[in-house]
Amino acid sequence: MSGIYLHIPFCKQACSYCDFYFVTRQELREQYVERLLQEIRNYRDTDYTEEPVQTIYFGGGTPSRLGVKQIDAILAELQRVFNVQASEITLEMNPDDVTADYLSGLKQAGLTRASMGVQSFQPELLEFMHRAHNRDEALQCLELLSASKFQSFTADLIYGNPNQTAEQLARDIDLLLQFDPPHISAYSLTVEPRTRLGKQVELGRINPPEDDIVADQFALLNEQLKPHGIHRYEVSNYSKPGMEAVHNSSYWSHENYLGLGPGAHSFWWDEKPRRWQNVADINHYCSSEDVAGETEQLSMQELAEERIMMGLRTKKGITETELKSRYGYSLNEKQWGYLQKKQDEGRLTLKGSDFALTETGLVIADAIILDLITLH
Amino acid sequence: MHAGNPANPMTEIRNFCIIAHIDHGKSTLADRLLERTGAITERDMQAQILDDMDLERERGITIKSHAIKMDYERPSGEKVIFNLIDTPGHVDFAYEVSRALKACEGALLVVDAAQGVEAQTISTLYQAIDQDLEIVPVLNKIDLPGADVEGVGQQIVDLIGCDHEDILHVSGKTGEGVDELLEAVVKRIPAPGRENDKPLRALIFDSIFNTYRGSIVYVRVMQGTLHKGEGIRFMATNKEYDAEEIGYLKLKQEKTDKLEAGEVGYVIGSVKSLEDARVGDTLTTIKNAAQEPIPGYKEPQPMVFSGIYPTQSDDFENLRSALEKLQLNDASLTYQPETSKALGFGFRAGFLGLLHMEIVQERLDREFDIDIITTVPNVEYEVHKTERGEQKKVIVDNPSAMPDPSKVDAVYEPYIKASIITPSDYIGPVMKLCQERRGIYVNQLHMQSQRVEITYELPMAEVVFDFYDRLKSGTRGYASLDYEFLEYRKGDLVRLDILLNGEPVDALSSIVHRDNAYELGRKLCKKLKELIPQHQFQIPVQASIGSNVIARETVRALRKDVTAKCYGGDISRKRKLLEKQKEGKKRMKQVGTVEVPQEAFLAVLSMDDDQ
Ligand SMILES: Nc1nc2c(ncn2[C@@H]2O[C@H](COP(=O)(O)OP(=O)(O)OP(=O)(O)O)[C@@H](O)[C@H]2O)c(=O)[nH]1
Ligand code: SF4
Ligand SMILES: [Mg+2]
Repeated sequence: MSGIYLHIPFCKQACSYCDFYFVTRQELREQYVERLLQEIRNYRDTDYTEEPVQTIYFGGGTPSRLGVKQIDAILAELQRVFNVQASEITLEMNPDDVTADYLSGLKQAGLTRASMGVQSFQPELLEFMHRAHNRDEALQCLELLSASKFQSFTADLIYGNPNQTAEQLARDIDLLLQFDPPHISAYSLTVEPRTRLGKQVELGRINPPEDDIVADQFALLNEQLKPHGIHRYEVSNYSKPGMEAVHNSSYWSHENYLGLGPGAHSFWWDEKPRRWQNVADINHYCSSEDVAGETEQLSMQELAEERIMMGLRTKKGITETELKSRYGYSLNEKQWGYLQKKQDEGRLTLKGSDFALTETGLVIADAIILDLITLH
Repeated sequence: MHAGNPANPMTEIRNFCIIAHIDHGKSTLADRLLERTGAITERDMQAQILDDMDLERERGITIKSHAIKMDYERPSGEKVIFNLIDTPGHVDFAYEVSRALKACEGALLVVDAAQGVEAQTISTLYQAIDQDLEIVPVLNKIDLPGADVEGVGQQIVDLIGCDHEDILHVSGKTGEGVDELLEAVVKRIPAPGRENDKPLRALIFDSIFNTYRGSIVYVRVMQGTLHKGEGIRFMATNKEYDAEEIGYLKLKQEKTDKLEAGEVGYVIGSVKSLEDARVGDTLTTIKNAAQEPIPGYKEPQPMVFSGIYPTQSDDFENLRSALEKLQLNDASLTYQPETSKALGFGFRAGFLGLLHMEIVQERLDREFDIDIITTVPNVEYEVHKTERGEQKKVIVDNPSAMPDPSKVDAVYEPYIKASIITPSDYIGPVMKLCQERRGIYVNQLHMQSQRVEITYELPMAEVVFDFYDRLKSGTRGYASLDYEFLEYRKGDLVRLDILLNGEPVDALSSIVHRDNAYELGRKLCKKLKELIPQHQFQIPVQASIGSNVIARETVRALRKDVTAKCYGGDISRKRKLLEKQKEGKKRMKQVGTVEVPQEAFLAVLSMDDDQ
């Protein structure tokens, strides 16, 4: 089983916090789609096409900057080249691009899941984030989504913004719940160095909120969603039972995936596990034959650490059995002792060889992962 | 080149060194002398060529003295041999200057025409006068737009009592005045005595250690002649060897058959033990040995001490052998093993000063690739106590070894005499700083061009911290400092302990004056709070004197530490970050349950005033 990720690097405007690869020029869209089709065709008859493709994910950038026809063409090409047996085809979209026609067109093209970049309903926050849409557009488009016949949809929220209060977050969640979403992604704001936000923080013009406040908001999300049957299954992801995102989950469990488009990441594990990234440059992408960057070979130790790193971010956690059988990695005595101690502190549950972080563990997952890995 | 070409007895010799305050241009001037005398070709030339250690080149300062032979041809066609020793200007390495001076008959006293006379101008001048050397005053950097030839010239005249005409005006950068300088060396510096037939007395003024050839000593022959292959004796230790190879100190060593009175050169004799061939000792021949050695040097005394611990405890033996190797070429470095509850097995090392300490630490890291933790530098204390009715005196060079106040009769601490030269505009800030550091005012001497020399007696401990930096920043970089050891004096001193999570951390203890203990304790806790990363639990940071807690801070427990997102399948980025953090974590020292970063052990040094 494998997944395919397509990076659509066009955005209307630059959000202040964003360090994904994107361009705000739209002219290259046609040319880009042509080149993307060609990149797909280049895989024809390679070993990569043998595994059934289980998930397809249009990410960005802003995939909804492409028209239905273009999406349709891309999917058709994928069908021709790969062994597509997709149970989940997701497309990220921004509220300002979405119309009823657009949604039904996508549905026709075969999409099963829509991912809506809401981020917030508060006008001040939307402005602070420099989002292209406003509150009404967000509401309208969620209306359309909940009425649409997609198998599932999800909406993104960003919390932990400077000056954002718990009440504001609670209101955002409430508004979102009105549309009965099967899935929600809520990310705490990350200040990345090479962004407008990062610059302002560096200059001292903006102070990111205290950890205490963000930690409270982290807890609030789960508390408020739980009564609606929506549960945290990963640090930033919540869903109704059975509605977890398949594509993203496959990243965390080392399923194979191919990334297409500028800046996209790929992971493939046949004999030699490896990762590579396409050059993050649209001009280079459109004008060059070879767009893949350097390939990084991964050792079993590195893979095991990745698995721990990603697995501990999920509610399901990991099992030592899997670490042993898949990666040849066993936990040593110090590590077991550490897990026991975290269990005593209520940050982790340990059952036989299975362990997973609790809510109070998840909120400091990075520290625990680092401890655990360093003890090896 | 004709090996073994003996010095023509008719050829004149001049032995001299260049002395000055730090950065006044000694090494650059040496470059010009080497160039003009053809000791180095233009192609091989690089700035401050004598500064050949990596660290010297990187920092742009001279750390060790460098001796070099030149063949000078006067405009008259007469040939003269020059033996030049370039010396360091920094106060920590003053002993290097004193060694060099003994091998010379004259000294070029270089003064930066833009900076004027500074503290080490005066201290090195006095050393040279003590050795009865002929002083040739040189006003350097006259090419600088800010050069004050007149004013600084007057300062020099006032300082050494010469005439204005005696001062040479040169630029080590452009080469202006260098020809006149070369002639002045011949005309003004006395020729050395040439008593070749007397018993050999050769002063060892420096030595280097070579893994293959053992100790290579640099000598100045004061009288007599040394022939290649002769049996030699080191007079202080009475150890005997053969002079297997002798030669001159050119840019590369140049072999010869004999070294005569007045000459400078090197001697190799398979001297495997450093102890046998000490700098300052006199070398003589076994046959026809000299009766009396040349009066030796005062051994440099370490002034500051600090603990050096391997971050990884299994590096202990590597650290020991690294220190051993460093000591081979740096006899002023002392060390002995010690144990710390917090840091494990390590060493207490003694240094000449803070720069010396910094350099040793850097070399350990760079040349031996050992990750070390150093503790805050301290001075050596004399503790008087009575045990079973008996008066005892104990030397304490580690704060954690300071006995409980109740068991101590008195603690004595080293004082220094500090002389600070500053433009008179800054007398206020300088005196304020000295006063804050428990200084005792001695006097104030007004010099030419609105400059003052202020003398204070200060506890050495108050100077090892950030005194120099504070002095510089308080005077816009204009003040300069020189000091020498004075004596031990009684002080009201206490041991300030630091507790992390309730556990005392011996490596963080310090000895402070009682009046400053509270403020220091408070600042230290605050700084440690900043430096110690948040843990999953909260960590009390306390300062105490005995069982008395005098300050407290808390490192709050981690509330949130989780990355929001693993970007669109970009797992590499997150893993690389994790790997970096893992490395960082390994470099921390586990003290009880607390992980303490290396910088924390030096927290005192980085405390700000406004805290
Ligand atoms: N303009 C100008 N700069 C000079 C001259 N001589 C030296 N300098 C500069 O002054 C700085 C210090 O020169 P050095 O020759 O290293 O000084 P030093 O006295 O040997 O320094 P230490 O050995 O560390 O005490 C360097 O940046 C030189 O380039 C000069 O005649 N004119
Ligand atoms: S729309 Fe998405 S990809 Fe584009 S700038 Fe905003 S956050 Fe980044
Ligand atoms: Mg120099």
